[in-house]
Amino acid sequence: MPTPTAVTDKAPDYGRRSFLKTGLGGALFLGGVSMTAGLSGCASAPAGLQSEGPASPTSGYEFRFLSSDDIVLFEALIPAILGAALTEQPDLRRRQVRTTIETIDAGIVQFGNANQQELRKLFDLLNFGLTRATLAGVWSSWENASTDDARSFLERWETSSIGLFNNGYIALTKITNASYYGQPEHWSQTGYPGPPEWAVSALPQFQTHS
Amino acid sequence: MAMTDLIAQGLAGGWNVTDAATLTENQTLEADVVVIGTGAGGGTTAEILARTGLSVIMIEEGRLYHQKDFKMDELTSYASLYQEGLSRVTRDGAIAILQGRCVGGSTTVNWTSSFNTPDATLNFWADRFGLDELRPASLQPWFDDRKQRHNIAPWEVPPNANNDTLRRGCEQLGWSWHVIPRNVKGCWNLGYCGMGCPTNAKQGALTTTVPGALDHKAELIYGLRADRLVMTQDRISHLEATPLQADSVTPSAHKVQIRARHFVVAASALGSPALLLRSDIPDPYQRVGKRTFLHPVNATVAEMPERVDPFHGAPQSIYSDEFNFSQGVDGPAGFKLEVPPLHPSMASGILPGHGDIMNENLGKLPWLQSMLALIRDGFHADSPGGVVSLRDDGSPVLDYPVTDYLWQGLRQAYLRMAEAQFAAGAKQVRLVHMDSSWYRNWSEAEAAIKAIPMELHRARLFTAHQMGGCGMGANPRNSVVNGLGQHHQVSNLSVHDASIFPTSIGANPQMSVYTLSARNSTQLASRLTA
Repeated sequence: MPTPTAVTDKAPDYGRRSFLKTGLGGALFLGGVSMTAGLSGCASAPAGLQSEGPASPTSGYEFRFLSSDDIVLFEALIPAILGAALTEQPDLRRRQVRTTIETIDAGIVQFGNANQQELRKLFDLLNFGLTRATLAGVWSSWENASTDDARSFLERWETSSIGLFNNGYIALTKITNASYYGQPEHWSQTGYPGPPEWAVSALPQFQTHS
Repeated sequence: MAMTDLIAQGLAGGWNVTDAATLTENQTLEADVVVIGTGAGGGTTAEILARTGLSVIMIEEGRLYHQKDFKMDELTSYASLYQEGLSRVTRDGAIAILQGRCVGGSTTVNWTSSFNTPDATLNFWADRFGLDELRPASLQPWFDDRKQRHNIAPWEVPPNANNDTLRRGCEQLGWSWHVIPRNVKGCWNLGYCGMGCPTNAKQGALTTTVPGALDHKAELIYGLRADRLVMTQDRISHLEATPLQADSVTPSAHKVQIRARHFVVAASALGSPALLLRSDIPDPYQRVGKRTFLHPVNATVAEMPERVDPFHGAPQSIYSDEFNFSQGVDGPAGFKLEVPPLHPSMASGILPGHGDIMNENLGKLPWLQSMLALIRDGFHADSPGGVVSLRDDGSPVLDYPVTDYLWQGLRQAYLRMAEAQFAAGAKQVRLVHMDSSWYRNWSEAEAAIKAIPMELHRARLFTAHQMGGCGMGANPRNSVVNGLGQHHQVSNLSVHDASIFPTSIGANPQMSVYTLSARNSTQLASRLTA
């Protein structure tokens, strides 16, 4: 077995390391953005029951965290994050996107206050025009952004040498992927058959009266 | 047949259980002992104290879920049973923290691996922290006692293909491997331990010690968050707590006060230090929240030629300690090799990537096999652990520095896991790392792993084992509690959970928590009933 000292490490990049180690850079940076976004009137109130818009069928889902701007953001990002997982059939595709956004919202509600605030900063940064353009590199509004724009953005943050952007990338893709592939309707795309049927039919909690 | 749902039966039979969300006014309660937390430590403590006739109130921040709620569904389980809806991370976001938040704590969602504390760890504690009374021979009767209480035995059913891959890899390479002891009774071998056991087979706190305590007249209040312990002179007089609404996150307007003779904190390695910090408990040497350990986890994924179905079957049944203590207890960072189960949502959250590539990778789920390494942190000067502090809202946050010492261990672990997967016949292997591609053979993987950047946010890291932060030791200058879990400065305060470990364990920690809690609670009971 090679000894650990024999392992070659990549040449250290001290600028980046100190930035990440303090963590302060990130907090101040995002904190500033959030405040700027607030002052400039970004809509960050929960969208509640959305009754308008092409992507809001009458599901009756009440948004408790995501704002209407966040929903537009995810509508732009989801085709890039999920790729071929989404069907081409327009009505079904819209429904897949919509239920995934609802699942994301329901998940975030359980995250609790502290992580909700972190996500609020991230979403505000992406929704606020100046930071969307300078930090995410997306020049058009999310409403007008193409899937290619969204894909380029994700790749920039994925491969960035700045840990904070890697983190943002992971947050956006993880929450979207986990929300999409966790839905029973999408299990089959992974070859996961679900819980064994013999167990489901034998267990009391799956019987109609439980 | 599924085992009886003791919770449903007990609730119907008149147990003293309260959902704090239903409280309509302020409450003042009194007991001999308040136990804060209902996981491995709190459950054990409550049962042992209640059996001696002491009046015990258990409080739990999470909600009470049991068989009726355990439907083998990832999304509902992750949202309801885990801390921060499974979004908990270290402060810089670099390490994902998997931790239970429900009655039974992490024992409700763990994968049932039940190891005695390794001898080398106990001897290290004795040598370095003056904990001579915890040498292996002294603890053996307590391990035996807990083994019986939680029905712990090596898994007799053949391992699922996911675990068997680890066994075959070890066989091929001449590495040691063993069958994992599990705390189950009548297990159906389904594979959903992490979502709450659907058959009541898992013998965690939820199905053993919590019911045991309630059968002996203990009271349980769940959905109740412990805010602070209030001191009067040199003793704690009462606990102040806030009920949470049924959504489990929104505080209600009422308050609960509980007076007691003794207070046992068992709120986990993040929760317990946070409660002590919020309470301004005397901490003359600034030890609270220090030396927090995680068993940092990294992982690899292999595409196997045959189906693995990593979502079905007992999630963990084979382990290898080949690299755990082999270079000495305090040498280069050792690690234990195990496998994780892979269900679609978790797999998509663990594998880095997006778009068509993610879709293609996940499409192979039945053929994917994963290995993980638990890095044994805290045994070396270059592994000082993390620090728990309070966020503005009073909740805990952990800063955990991944030192070069740990990175070396993590890189070794990537190498050994990929080697084992190829030895077991993998078609290709990739790291759970942002810069990894799929490697076609061991030599390609070996070269790539030796060169891959070992950096935060690039290497994806996890922890399911949080330890330390209220470390025990003989000397108050470097510890918070003594070898019996008693607080050094406050006589009516004890800590009974994984936060008292002075290092990590080097194995999945639930058995260590059960065992030390049983020993320390038995001592506490005799002091309180004397």
